[in-house]
Amino acid sequence: MRFWYLVVAQVKSLLLRRRRQDELDEELRLHLAQEIEQRVARGMSPKEARRSALCAFGGVERTKDECRDAWGLRLVDQLARDTRYATRRLARDWRFSVLATLILALGIGVNTAMFSVINALYSPPLANQDAHQLVNLYQNDRDSGEPGFLGTSCPAYEDMAAYTDLYAGVMATTVPHPVRIYHDERVLRGMAEFATSSYLAVLGLSPSRGRWFTAAEDRLGAESVAVLSHRSWTTTFEASPSVIGETMRINGVPVTVIGVGPAGHESGFFGGIVTDFWLPVSSLLALNETSNGLERDAREAPFLVTARLRDGVSLAQAQAGMTALGVRLASEFPDEDPGRGISVWRTEDVRTHPELDGPLTAVAWLLMSVVGLVLAIACINLATWLLVRGLSRAKEVSVRLALGATRGQLVRHLLVESTLLAGAGGVVGCLLAIWTIHLVALVELPFDVVVGLDYRVLGFALALSLATGVAFGLAPALKATRVTLTPALRAQGDIPSSGRRGFTLNDMLVVAQVVLSCVLLVGAGVFLQWLASMETADVGFRVDGLAFVEADAALAGYSPDEAAVLYESWRAGVAALPGVESATLAAGPPTGGLDGPFATLELDVDGYVPSADEFVWGQWTWAGPGYFETLGLPPLYGRTFTQFDRPGTPGVAVINERMARRYFGTPNAVGGRFRVVDRASGPEDAARGVELEVIGVVPDTRAWVLREPLPTFYRSPSQAAALTPTVVARTSLDPVSLLPPMRRTLRELGGALPVLRARTMPQHVAAALGQSRAAGAVLGGLGALGLALASLGLYAVMAFGVSRRAREIGIRRALGAQRTHVIWTVSRNVATLIGVGLTLGLGLGWLSVQGLAMVGTSLTLSVPSVEPLTFGLVTALLAAVGLAAAFFPARRAAKADPLVALRHL
Amino acid sequence: MSEPSDVLRGTLDLLILQTLVLEPNHGWAIAQRIQQVSRDHLKVQQGSLYPALHRLEHQGWIRSKWGRSDEKRQAKFYSLTRAGRKQLETETSKWQRLSTGVNLVLANE
Repeated sequence: MRFWYLVVAQVKSLLLRRRRQDELDEELRLHLAQEIEQRVARGMSPKEARRSALCAFGGVERTKDECRDAWGLRLVDQLARDTRYATRRLARDWRFSVLATLILALGIGVNTAMFSVINALYSPPLANQDAHQLVNLYQNDRDSGEPGFLGTSCPAYEDMAAYTDLYAGVMATTVPHPVRIYHDERVLRGMAEFATSSYLAVLGLSPSRGRWFTAAEDRLGAESVAVLSHRSWTTTFEASPSVIGETMRINGVPVTVIGVGPAGHESGFFGGIVTDFWLPVSSLLALNETSNGLERDAREAPFLVTARLRDGVSLAQAQAGMTALGVRLASEFPDEDPGRGISVWRTEDVRTHPELDGPLTAVAWLLMSVVGLVLAIACINLATWLLVRGLSRAKEVSVRLALGATRGQLVRHLLVESTLLAGAGGVVGCLLAIWTIHLVALVELPFDVVVGLDYRVLGFALALSLATGVAFGLAPALKATRVTLTPALRAQGDIPSSGRRGFTLNDMLVVAQVVLSCVLLVGAGVFLQWLASMETADVGFRVDGLAFVEADAALAGYSPDEAAVLYESWRAGVAALPGVESATLAAGPPTGGLDGPFATLELDVDGYVPSADEFVWGQWTWAGPGYFETLGLPPLYGRTFTQFDRPGTPGVAVINERMARRYFGTPNAVGGRFRVVDRASGPEDAARGVELEVIGVVPDTRAWVLREPLPTFYRSPSQAAALTPTVVARTSLDPVSLLPPMRRTLRELGGALPVLRARTMPQHVAAALGQSRAAGAVLGGLGALGLALASLGLYAVMAFGVSRRAREIGIRRALGAQRTHVIWTVSRNVATLIGVGLTLGLGLGWLSVQGLAMVGTSLTLSVPSVEPLTFGLVTALLAAVGLAAAFFPARRAAKADPLVALRHL
Repeated sequence: MSEPSDVLRGTLDLLILQTLVLEPNHGWAIAQRIQQVSRDHLKVQQGSLYPALHRLEHQGWIRSKWGRSDEKRQAKFYSLTRAGRKQLETETSKWQRLSTGVNLVLANE
């Protein structure tokens, strides 16, 4: 109560300051007038009375000052004065100020940008009230007993929803699935979640327009409907109200839009990902080309379940209920649900998924520590500069001390200066961060992630700027104000005692910079090397001269039979184009990636006995007529497909060398047999339980471009009446010139058939590398930044150190020292410091690469190895930079006329 | 008559609060009054009177208002607030304890 009174009083003082000042003047004037009047009444002359009154009063101005202090404005006044003074100083020294601001802006900018990306990934997905009542229910992984990645099956969700004594409501939704939308003769890509009718009610939200699904629409056979997300409605559909009621084709299925989701709710999965559509769970089968997505099957359980606890129900009660359910399911459905159990988590405690949060946090920390390193280098760098400046300001400081300033005042003043710099750096840094985020947004990702500056990010930037200001300002300020008066006041400034070589603050800063840049460079180097090894790895076939166009007849409503005929005549048309050597049909562009045509299947290979836990598998795709000839993959053994491989003939497959060696033990596996294990679903349905004979072996290709070749087999679409909507053509001409005629051929045949992608193969491969290239550019850039900062810092320290020893060098020269000897003496110290820094830095760098490798392994990524070359390069680079920083100032000093140096004695 | 002694630091607040118990008053009159009531034993340093008034106001123990004095003079009048009354009680009892103590020590001569 009293505290708040005082706060209000303080704020009032600040705001009403001008008026109070005037009132005070008036009050004191009136007081004096009365005093004078009294004295005149006692018989003094007016002049005498005035003099005596003023004498009796004491210092009027001082009284006013004390009154102002009473308003609690002393600190504010002083800070304002310090700020004015610091601003003047910084403006006078504008070169330093600009440089310092830029350095800080880079440091703060990259940190803010990185933080905002991570903030976006981590921001809670559910911006609604009573979120603490929500719990997530996960069916466990069979082996680990922890929440599984596979999720919960639809029947299991219904079993959970039956616990109405525990839950006020239960909903299920899927992870956003990539879908293709055909609307207004345009093909759009989007993400769709399959959600139950209870979805919004459980979250405590309501649609911003139209309506949500009804319970009837949850059931199979209902008409297909969709709810647009608010973001997608405002951006893609320009907030047009007429969208509601329109029909569009999603993955070829006509769907009616019935509403728009709540504003600000991006996804039911986690904050960063943007969902474009919600579809009822009943459309999962039709739209996701899956046959058993709604069955009770531990291998195909796509749902994430969230429930709202009834009032008064505790987490433990819910867990007990779910454990009982898990036991019951295990006994009732031993095959489909074998003892998996159910875990209950508070929704607030989960960011993405209990199993995913750990590795994600590790990555987030890794990224933050990289950019943190850059900021640390920037801070140390500025500390060095300030220290150097502080020493050259020793005289100013000692004059002020001699005039009665306290050390606290001086430190405060210097800190205000560094905080001002940091504040300017923070502002520029935020601008930089916004720009960086725009750059990041340009990188093609398979899904949209919302990244923006919100109050958390801005708060982070502000706190970071203040902390930075204190971090790099405090040590130099303390050092600069520790001055012994007399020597500093003497004309020459202080005399450096050249004999003393203790480990000074300066030295420590130099070593720290070398160490940190070393770690940063090692990290960047290892990553760049890894990247380079991916760039040079070839895809396994000749990409030059290849072009492909991918269309989708199903989106336009063609029946499978019509589509197959259309594709084949399209291929024939393209093959007849001038300049085309050969043309083939494929399920997609013949490389992998998230949207590639390869799918992975569990196999049963004749004569191969897998070890205990081994999963026998291969990835596969359709290979149309002339596929291997067009790509330039002549068979190593056996033959490729012919027109005789028709439906009804025994199933045949062409496999790659990797698969032949791994499962048949010989590169010549012709005649070998294998079966697709009967658990498949999705587009692979056509391969279910199929028995295949190997008719040929072809060279390995890299399906994922950046990965090792995988065991692969190819099947002929003509044997299964499968659809292969991509024409791949090889030309001796520039493949870019082939794209328009390929599209024209399609248009002539099929009218306005939606074209999904039209690219040359070199473009496609480059795009696949784009994401890692962007990452490489960022890391390489950070490394270069660190190096540049470290060189600047080293140079500043060395140049200053040498200039302070100019007199000593002059004496040495006058006494006959050789120029080279002088340079050596000066450089030796630097060499020691750099040596110490490099040793520590390389050690730390090695450790951090090991840490990186551990994180990478936990994410099952291929991990860069530590190459001695990287370490050699980093060492050479830093040593060269450091010695150059020492050599040039030393040479300048040695070149100077000794007499000039001595005259300044 | 001996020279009036300066008001002890710290007791000025107490004296000002006590003076304002009777009626609101302006700075000059407060100083006069303290001198009068103490029969010229105490003299308020004018230089420290105003900082003290402003401090008390900032603390919320007194509040000020412009008005006209008996001599129809424009002046800033200070009056006691409720918090000020409470503060006066505390300060008074503190002072009484102090003076009792000092007197006891002196009487022990």
